[in-house]
Amino acid sequence: MMENIQATLNRGPAVQAAKPIKMKTKDVTVHYGAKQALNGVTLNIPENQVTALIGPSGCGKSTYLRCLNRMNDTIDIAKVGGEILLDGEDVYDPDIDVVELRARVGMVFQKPNPFPKSIFDNVAYGPKIHGLARSKQELDEIVHTSLRRAGLYKEVHDRLDEPGTGLSGGQQQRLCIARAIAVSPEVILMDEPCSALDPIATATVEELIDELRENYTIVIVTHSMQQAARVSQLTAMFHLGDLAEVGPTEKMFSNPDDKRTQDYITGRFG
Amino acid sequence: MSDATANGIAATAAERKPRRDIGIGRRYAAERRFKAYGIIAIAIGLAFLVMLLTSIISKGYTAFWQTEIKVPITFTEKVLGTPEQAVKSQTKLLMANYPQLARDGLVQLLGISADDKKAVSAANGLISSGTRVTLRDMVMNDLSIIGTTEDVWLYASSELDSAMKGQYDLSVPENRRPISDLQLEYIDKLKSQGAIEERFNWGLFTFGASSRAETAGLGVAIIGSFYMMLIVLALALPIGVAASIYLEEFAPKNKFTDLIEVNINNLAAVPSIVFGLLGLAVFINWFGLPRSAPLVGGLVLTLMTLPTIIIATRAALRAVPPSIRWAALGLGASRTQTIFHHVLPLAAPGILTGTIIGLAQALGETAPLLLIGMVAFVADYPATPMEPATALPVQIYMWANEAERAFVERTSGAIIILLAFLAIMNLTAIFLRRRFERRW
Ligand SMILES: Nc1ncnc2c1ncn2[C@@H]1O[C@H](COP(=O)(O)OP(=O)(O)OP(=O)(O)O)[C@@H](O)[C@H]1O
Ligand SMILES: [Mg+2]
Repeated sequence: MMENIQATLNRGPAVQAAKPIKMKTKDVTVHYGAKQALNGVTLNIPENQVTALIGPSGCGKSTYLRCLNRMNDTIDIAKVGGEILLDGEDVYDPDIDVVELRARVGMVFQKPNPFPKSIFDNVAYGPKIHGLARSKQELDEIVHTSLRRAGLYKEVHDRLDEPGTGLSGGQQQRLCIARAIAVSPEVILMDEPCSALDPIATATVEELIDELRENYTIVIVTHSMQQAARVSQLTAMFHLGDLAEVGPTEKMFSNPDDKRTQDYITGRFG
Repeated sequence: MSDATANGIAATAAERKPRRDIGIGRRYAAERRFKAYGIIAIAIGLAFLVMLLTSIISKGYTAFWQTEIKVPITFTEKVLGTPEQAVKSQTKLLMANYPQLARDGLVQLLGISADDKKAVSAANGLISSGTRVTLRDMVMNDLSIIGTTEDVWLYASSELDSAMKGQYDLSVPENRRPISDLQLEYIDKLKSQGAIEERFNWGLFTFGASSRAETAGLGVAIIGSFYMMLIVLALALPIGVAASIYLEEFAPKNKFTDLIEVNINNLAAVPSIVFGLLGLAVFINWFGLPRSAPLVGGLVLTLMTLPTIIIATRAALRAVPPSIRWAALGLGASRTQTIFHHVLPLAAPGILTGTIIGLAQALGETAPLLLIGMVAFVADYPATPMEPATALPVQIYMWANEAERAFVERTSGAIIILLAFLAIMNLTAIFLRRRFERRW
């Protein structure tokens, strides 16, 4: 397992030029009712990079991810504390509207969740509600580019009016990615986007993530060490609600400082 | 047979390898027993349903036919006055002795001497006195008819109708049955002349209340029920859906909303007569709305239907997978947009089904309507929901209290009509669900 990851890392380009910070969290805590799920997470998310969140199940990765676009607001019992900054602005600032925030910080979920509408409408929905297209042509343009970017266009271009739910799992997930990038977000959050996909679809999505990095900042939760090694530049290891360690992916998988990271990536727990 | 197979399995298993008895045979037996119970339960249910339907249909189908007699009517000036007089004053026309026209026509048709009082009165008993309205309308519509003779199909009296349908036991002595031997003789005579016929009873759907069975119909009741359904639909659907959306999607979860929730569920179980009392106290005594009005009935039924609709709508909203909400919210849709663009369309079939089932319940409801005075003798169509009317189930209740044979068949006929409406509504609900249900 360790060699495997090493091999992957050695193959990938060692990009580690200092990038500007896109999102920053300071001492973020989350309580679900009386239960604390995050105990103060301080993390910088660099721009145009893929940041992977790893850690054993239940350690708070999804919870952390949901803080970044305030999706935790939709959970009644969730209470978020600490500071979350997007481009230096507090996302809980009264000046920032949650609708605007979510347009800037998009999200792709673990299970593909296309709307039960046509492929076209799935992608067009975001641009429509945010008024991004002034005409039908502009909307067509946005939909087509988004599908192309998500690597789905070739497969679906002749059946855009068929239901999105009729696609295969991997296609659905790429449709969801197309839907997310159609609103031109700055950050895309992905919560185990490949957990429901077969290896081939996973490879497609991973390639896609690598390409998207050029234009977007990506935060991805994954349970696959190989995947983290393949797609990310920065890796953050969570453990029981704490941020155990964060560092360049290469270093995290070759020479982690924290004992918990070591144990986790060598498969001793989790 | 089943024991044999069970033993067979046990035997082959024993040959191969002695195994621990894990009770496979018993489990299969239990399953078979349970299936048998289920089938018996369904069979009993079906048997009752078939019994009910056969009894109602066999009693009621005759209500859809009504005997009519073709009588040559001479619209004489002697009875009606001249057309010139009629133009000047309609009073005479309105008050004219139309039954006499019908009687004279029938007497002539049967070839009875006009002096034979007994025979004339026997003949007169064959036609409905409701002919007054039929003939008057003919004359009022066309004054030029005065002075001419025309064949008119007249409603037979309910006694003749019942006799034609073979509902009287003719073996009992003459004085103990509603139809005399002389009248039976006349019936045979009319039959041989082809002047008597069973025709489809449109009147059952159009007439209002009447003390004579042959001119009693469900017209007023159908209109009353229709008004009430409209009111229930117009009020209960929007209020119920709005309340459900608020409770399900916006309301904070606290003691107060819990209390509301419990109350809604309790309200659904409150006996309908209580809603009737409430309607009487609030809408009639306090708001001063008129008694017997479909408006009040509609309001009471709205109160009764609301919990059903709210419960169905909330269940439908809850059945929409949360992933759809996350998808929309994650794209930056507001809560309202998420609900109206995604959740509500997906919940719509469930909401519609719940609404239609609620409406069907309301359509069949009788008790609260009795309390707000919708058990009235209403002969004229209500022009607005503020005017007195009855409702279908109430009309059934009223007819069921009548002793006359012709009302018995009408009661069953009305039940068939009510059941048909209910069946149509439920089929619509099923159809809508099939049509709009989406899978994801
Ligand atoms: N909606 C919720 N209500 C209550 N508790 C929650 C909720 N979501 C998460 N939790 C709790 O918060 C903790 C962290 O959960 P979270 O979903 O963030 O874990 P995770 O790291 O994403 O796990 P996994 O890898 O299994 O997805 C868990 O103990 C979980 O029980
Ligand atoms: Mg998770």
